[in-house]
Amino acid sequence: MQISSHIGSQLVDLCSALLLLTCFAIVAQRRLSACVDLFALQSAFLVLTAALVAFLTGNHHIYIAAGLTGLIKVIIIPRVLKKVIARLNVKRELVMNVNVPAGLLICGALVMLAFFITQPILPLGFLLTRDSLAIAFTIVLIGLFTMIARQKAVSQLVGFLVMENGLFLGATAATYGMPLIVELGVFFDVLIAVLIAGIYTNRLQDAFDSVDTSHLTVLKE
Amino acid sequence: MGLIEVVVLLIAPLLAGGLSLIIHRSALLHAINLTSLSLLVASEIMITRTVLIDGPFTALGQFVYLDALSAFILFIIGAVGLACSFYMRSYMDEQIARGVIAPGRLNLFFFLFHMFLLAMVVATVANSVGVQWVAIEATTLTTTFLIAFWRRRESLEAGWKYLILCSVGISLALFGVVLTYYSSLHVLGDVSEALNVTQLLPVADRLNPPVLKLAFIFILVGYGTKVGLVPMHSWLPDAYTEAPAPVAAMLAGVLEIVAVYAILRMRMIADHALSPAFTGGLLTLLGFASFVTAAFFILIQHNYKRLFAYSSIEHMGVAMIGFGVGGPLGTFGGLLHLMNHAFAKSMAFFAAGNIHRRFHTVEIGQVQGLATAQPWTAMALMIAGLALSALPPFVSFVSEVQVLSALATEGVAGLRFTNSSSLVTLALTDQFCSLWLTGLFLLCAVLAFSGLLYRLTGMVWGVPPEGIVRGETWTLGHLPIIVLAAALVGFSFLLPQPIRQLLDQAMQILLLH
Repeated sequence: MQISSHIGSQLVDLCSALLLLTCFAIVAQRRLSACVDLFALQSAFLVLTAALVAFLTGNHHIYIAAGLTGLIKVIIIPRVLKKVIARLNVKRELVMNVNVPAGLLICGALVMLAFFITQPILPLGFLLTRDSLAIAFTIVLIGLFTMIARQKAVSQLVGFLVMENGLFLGATAATYGMPLIVELGVFFDVLIAVLIAGIYTNRLQDAFDSVDTSHLTVLKE
Repeated sequence: MGLIEVVVLLIAPLLAGGLSLIIHRSALLHAINLTSLSLLVASEIMITRTVLIDGPFTALGQFVYLDALSAFILFIIGAVGLACSFYMRSYMDEQIARGVIAPGRLNLFFFLFHMFLLAMVVATVANSVGVQWVAIEATTLTTTFLIAFWRRRESLEAGWKYLILCSVGISLALFGVVLTYYSSLHVLGDVSEALNVTQLLPVADRLNPPVLKLAFIFILVGYGTKVGLVPMHSWLPDAYTEAPAPVAAMLAGVLEIVAVYAILRMRMIADHALSPAFTGGLLTLLGFASFVTAAFFILIQHNYKRLFAYSSIEHMGVAMIGFGVGGPLGTFGGLLHLMNHAFAKSMAFFAAGNIHRRFHTVEIGQVQGLATAQPWTAMALMIAGLALSALPPFVSFVSEVQVLSALATEGVAGLRFTNSSSLVTLALTDQFCSLWLTGLFLLCAVLAFSGLLYRLTGMVWGVPPEGIVRGETWTLGHLPIIVLAAALVGFSFLLPQPIRQLLDQAMQILLLH
C-alpha cells in the first residue's frame, strides 16, 4: 500500500509536470493553430491527471469532471478555435509584447514565485497531490502572463483557457474536485465564454479587418 | 417558509427570458418585462418581511440562503430593475423607430436582460460560494453582448475588453473559492455542502488562516475587477460609455453592488479566522486607490458617460472605505451608500440616454442649453449630479458623512494592526494617520464634487446648438426618474422603517457574523 501510494504520487506529479511543460511550449509557440493544438494536448494531460486521481482515491465524481474536460476542452473548444483561425487572415503572431526568450525566462520566475507563495499552505494538502497545487498556481500565473504578452485575440483566449486548466488542476489536486454542481457550472461558463469570444473574433475581424487587439485603441482617455 | 417567494424570484426572470425569445410584438415584450420585474419586486417585499420577522432562512434544500444583507441587495436589484424597465419602454421603441436596431433584435435584448437579472438574483441568494461564482461569471457572459449591442467598432472593443478582463478577474476569484474549499474540507470533511455559507460560518474560526488569507486576496482581486476597483478598472469607463443607457444603469447601479456583496460574504467568513484588521485594511486600501484615482480622472473628462463611469469608481471606493474602516457607523454608511449610488447613478444614465438621443454626441462640449431643449432631463441630470456630488439634502450626503466620520474616529484597522510590529509605520500613530486619511478623503470629495458639477452645469445652461429640437414630451421613461429623485431627497429626511430595519440588521450581520 505504501509503495503503491508512493508510485501514485509520483505519477500524479509527472502528469502535472507535463501540464506545466505544455505551458512553456505555448509561451514559445508563435503559430496560432499550433498554440491551439498544444492547448488540446495540455487538456488531454489534465484529463489523464484527473482520471489518475479519481482512480487512486476512489472518488468517482472526478471521472465525470474528467470526461467533461475531455469532451469540452480536448474536442469542442479546439475545434471552435480552429474554425475561428481558418477565417482569420493572420496565422502567426508576428509582434509580441514580450519576445520568446524573455517570456520563457519570466515564466521560469513565475514558477519560483508560485512555489514560494504556496509553500505555507501545501502541508495542509493530501499527500497524493501536494505538489500539484503549486503547479496549478504556476499554470494560472503563466496563463495570465500569456494574455498580457500576446496581442492576437485568439492567443489571449488560449491564455485564458490555460488559466482555466490551472484552476481545474488546482481544484482536483487540492480538494479532489469541487462539489458537482459548481463543477458543472464552471464547465458551462467556460464553454459559453469561448463561444462568445469566438463570435467576437469574427465581428472584430469584420469591423477592424484584424484581430490584433493592439488595434483596439479607439477608446482612450 | 418563504418558498413560494423564492421560487417566484427565480422563475420570473427565467420565464420572461424564455418568452422574450418567441414573442415578436414590442408592446407584448415590454408588458412581459414589466410583469416579470413587478413579480420580482413583489416577492422581494415578501422576502424582506419574512427576513425581518423570522430572521435568516434557507430554502430549496439548502440551495438558497437569505438574510437581511441579501434581502437588502435584492431590494436594490428589484428597484433599479423596475426603473430600467419603465425607462426601456420609451427608449427602445425610439431606437427601433430611428432604425438604430432592427426590430428582431429586441428579442435578443430582452432575453439577455432577463438572463442578466436571473444571474444576479442567483448570485445574491445562493448559499454556496461556488454557485455564487458561477452566477457572477454568468453576469459577465450575458452583459458582454448587451454592452456591444450597437455593434459599432467602439462597442465591440468595449465588449471584448469587458469579456476578457472580467473573465480573467473572475478566474482569479475561482482560485479563491477553490482555496476556501481546500480549507473547509479539513474541518467539514468531504461533503458537497462544504462551500455553503450556512456550513462555513459556524466553523469559520477553525479554518486554516494562511489558506484563507490567500483565498480572500484572490476573491477580493477577482470580484474587485467586477466592481471596478482601481487598478482593475480599465474596462469600466469603456463599457459604460458604449452600453445602451438602461444597460449602463443596470451595470452601474446593480452589478457592481452584487460584486461588492460577494466580497462582503467572503469577508464574513475570513474575519473569523483572520483579524478584521487584515480584511478591513485591504478593503480600505483598494477603496482609497479607487477614490483618489477616480477623483482626479473626473476632472479631465470631456465625455459625460465616462464622467459618470469614473464617478461610479469613486463611489464604490467610498463604500469600500466604509466597509474597510468598519464599526457600526462605517458599515451602515457603506451599505446606505451602495443604495444611494444605485439610485443616483441609474438616474444619471437615464438622463444621459435622453441627452444622447437628442444631441447624438457624448462630448460635453457639444451639449449646451439642456434646460431649454430638454427641461425634464436637465432637471434629472442636475439632481443626479448633485446627489452624486454628495451634497445635502440628498441621502448620499448622509452616507458619505457617515463614512467620513467613521474614518475620522475609528481610524484604519489595518494600520492600527501593523503599528505595534512594523518599524516603518512607527512614526504614523493612529491619530496622525487617520487625520491624514480624513484630509485626503475630504480633498478628493471636493475634487469630485467640483469636477462633476462644473461639467454638468456647462451642459444644462446656455443656448442649444442649431438644429436641436426644443421641448420635451412626457413619456413613461420619465416616471422612474421622478420616483428615484423623490427617493434620493426623501430618504435623507425619513428613511422608511422597513429599509432602516433591513439596513440595521444587515449591518449587525456584517459586524457580528
